[in-house]
Amino acid sequence: MDNGTSNSASENETITLKSCDGIEFHIDARIANRYTLLNNWNGGESACIPNVNGKVLEKVLEWCEHHINDPQLNCGDDDSRRRNTIIEEWDENFLSCDQDMLFEIILAANYLEIKPLLDLGCKTVANMMKSKSPEEIRSAFNIDNDYTPEEEEQFRKENEWAEDY
Amino acid sequence: MITLPNECYCMIFNNLRSNYNSLLSCSLVNRHWCRIVIPILWNDPKNHFKDIRLIKVFLLTLNDEERTLLIPFKLTFPNHPKPLFEYTSYITCVNKDLYSGIRIWLRSNGYKTEYELVETAIQCSLIAMSCELVRILNI
Repeated sequence: MDNGTSNSASENETITLKSCDGIEFHIDARIANRYTLLNNWNGGESACIPNVNGKVLEKVLEWCEHHINDPQLNCGDDDSRRRNTIIEEWDENFLSCDQDMLFEIILAANYLEIKPLLDLGCKTVANMMKSKSPEEIRSAFNIDNDYTPEEEEQFRKENEWAEDY
Repeated sequence: MITLPNECYCMIFNNLRSNYNSLLSCSLVNRHWCRIVIPILWNDPKNHFKDIRLIKVFLLTLNDEERTLLIPFKLTFPNHPKPLFEYTSYITCVNKDLYSGIRIWLRSNGYKTEYELVETAIQCSLIAMSCELVRILNI
């Protein structure tokens, strides 16, 4: 009997997920049931996750496991949750990884439609940008400035009202 | 840096929604980020309507038809190149502070006569300009 796609998976059921580079993870079936995309791929005992490598999938699944008993949020909760930029200690430690891994986690959470992890990753990046100058942000994220000096000056003038707050 | 899809950048910048200064910094990082940040930065600038720098940009973005409404009042429009974005098209909320902002702009430009008429005319032009997107019109 295939219980993989059932919504009533019990604690003992496990399924196997395979990353794009062939690494297998045995996970609690309740995790797969919670997130649509993981669930959709679980047609049998194992499922392949294209586009996410083993290193990233391991982190994503670690997060899912830690949050397995979190209440599921409704769509209406999105706004208030998004506006709150406070991050729990465990999550903060979890995302204190190198920047490439943080961005890989965001990409994977977006791809796998794991909304709370996506929100958390985006909040973390937003907090890294808070109260920084454009130069500081460019250097923190290794981004080149492609404005012409004239364009930048005009843009600053048109938006200088936002400087004071 | 690993490039994220635009919808992820949008989510990141939305976390800074009430933090105008940080949003401005992000918009100045590069052109790509700028295009994503501007609709968020300009979505709700109502706490800044008393700032004449903002009123000046409003006036710059008026189209010919909207400016025609103001011809009888012989206003001198700010001398500035065409704005880089249609900023006002992103505004979704207007409140009474817009009156005060226009009054302050008029005073700072030395207009003394027919105050109320000019104010009303400018408001009409600004509202005509942005009404399509203004969801909360609290004037």
